[in-house]
Amino acid sequence: MDVISAIFDFLTGLGSTVMLPIIILILGLILGQKVGRAFISALMVGVGFVGLGLVTTLLFDGLGPATNALVEKTGLQLNALDVGWGVAAAIAFGTTVGSLVFIIALVINIVMFVLNWTKTLNVDMWNYWHYAFTGSLVYLVTGGNLLLGIIGAGIHCVVSLLIADWTAKDVQNFFKIPGVSIPQGWAITSVPIIKGLNWVVDRIPGLRDVYLDSEGLKKKLGVFGQPIIMGAVLGLLFGLIAYGFDTRVLTLAVQMAAVMVLIPRIIAIFMEGLTPLSESARVFMMKRFEGREFYIGLDSAILIGHPITIAAAIILIPITLLLAAILPGNNTLPAADLAATAFFVSMVPPLTKGNFFRSLLYGTIIMVVVLYVSSAFAPLLTQIASDIGYGVPEGAVQITGLSGGNWIAWVITTISRLIFGN
Amino acid sequence: MEPLLGKTYKIVVACGTAIATSTHVAIKLKEMLEEQGISIQTIQCRVQEVPIYADDADLVLATAQVPYDIDKEVVNAIPFLTGIGLEEVIEKIKDILLNS
Repeated sequence: MDVISAIFDFLTGLGSTVMLPIIILILGLILGQKVGRAFISALMVGVGFVGLGLVTTLLFDGLGPATNALVEKTGLQLNALDVGWGVAAAIAFGTTVGSLVFIIALVINIVMFVLNWTKTLNVDMWNYWHYAFTGSLVYLVTGGNLLLGIIGAGIHCVVSLLIADWTAKDVQNFFKIPGVSIPQGWAITSVPIIKGLNWVVDRIPGLRDVYLDSEGLKKKLGVFGQPIIMGAVLGLLFGLIAYGFDTRVLTLAVQMAAVMVLIPRIIAIFMEGLTPLSESARVFMMKRFEGREFYIGLDSAILIGHPITIAAAIILIPITLLLAAILPGNNTLPAADLAATAFFVSMVPPLTKGNFFRSLLYGTIIMVVVLYVSSAFAPLLTQIASDIGYGVPEGAVQITGLSGGNWIAWVITTISRLIFGN
Repeated sequence: MEPLLGKTYKIVVACGTAIATSTHVAIKLKEMLEEQGISIQTIQCRVQEVPIYADDADLVLATAQVPYDIDKEVVNAIPFLTGIGLEEVIEKIKDILLNS
């Protein structure tokens, strides 16, 4: 045990920009990649990580003071800035648990598949960040217990695979994509909410019969929501509220647009490094499990193009901002993840037979849950970000992400804190 | 038909975020077509932005449904993620590009 903990201490000391590439390299070699390719991929992940650090600093510097001003001016307690899924993922991968998540999730998946406990082979490595997120939170609230952090990430991973199996047929039939399932770490948390709401709504006379389909919706869908425009508009809006008529408003608009454009670009670098690994994991597993029935676990991003999802996502942007302002006890200031509202309702159409009415209704309720959970996580996430060396702004401002509004992560973290916390 | 020498085809690769799955698809597509001597340039975007970029592209490749009426062919990119039926999709893409 001493040797193991010595090794981990050494690795942790290296920091995530070094440790993550090392793990990616080792995994790549185990899964049969050529040395050269495995090395470039691993290095690319490190480069993506450094890039995320740079942009995150820019984000904090620009938006931190604006959030402070907004809180002071309006009296609204919206002091937890939504920094978006890119930054949330960077923070999650940046901890010790986070860099181990690729090994944890792959081993769990293979074991569960071999034992016939799941049919899903989850090759969507980017979204392992959700498990890393849970693991990192557990690690923090248990006073730095690495084993508990790993177990926390593992539980989230197990739940994801089970829910992915549960919804696989609905997803396959609704979208007509055979052989896939969705184990994405946030999407699966919306499934129990949707199924629960279905149960309730089906028992309310009148309401249960309301059905709006996507006919006609397709024609009305404008080209909407280029992130750069959305960033600028949000920046203007926040700026006007925070500073009134002032040149800083324009600066904020450009900064916010920059965040919306730059973070995705850098995540693409990260993805470039991860793609070969996810590819070789897929080949590795499919070769060994030939003849078995399996689903390839993919990102919920493949569900985003449904007309109902896109229409609901657009309407959810103002709804989310309004909810943030009126919900008592909410601290989250929705910002960067407003560009990704489609993800929050992506599972609703396949589970409600394509009902636009229910997508809007459930979407609103889901956003209430998301806002409260991301508010609850804000102090923890801010702490983790600062622990791994991000320059979190001083003062009252905290960071969080709507994409971290993951109630399963919240349950796991809360139970860990109650039993093992100090 | 043989690929035109020196011609670079433009392909829009769309997914939910223009980042995750579309990067995966774009990398693989480029690799596989270049092996066959076809040079391409990929433009990654979100499905909501497909109509903006489709105009000057030869083909749209999407991992999600594209809920717009556009006059370019839209090819389903899921096989790039699952590996199932990938050969057929590559053939189809080649066919569309070389006959356009």
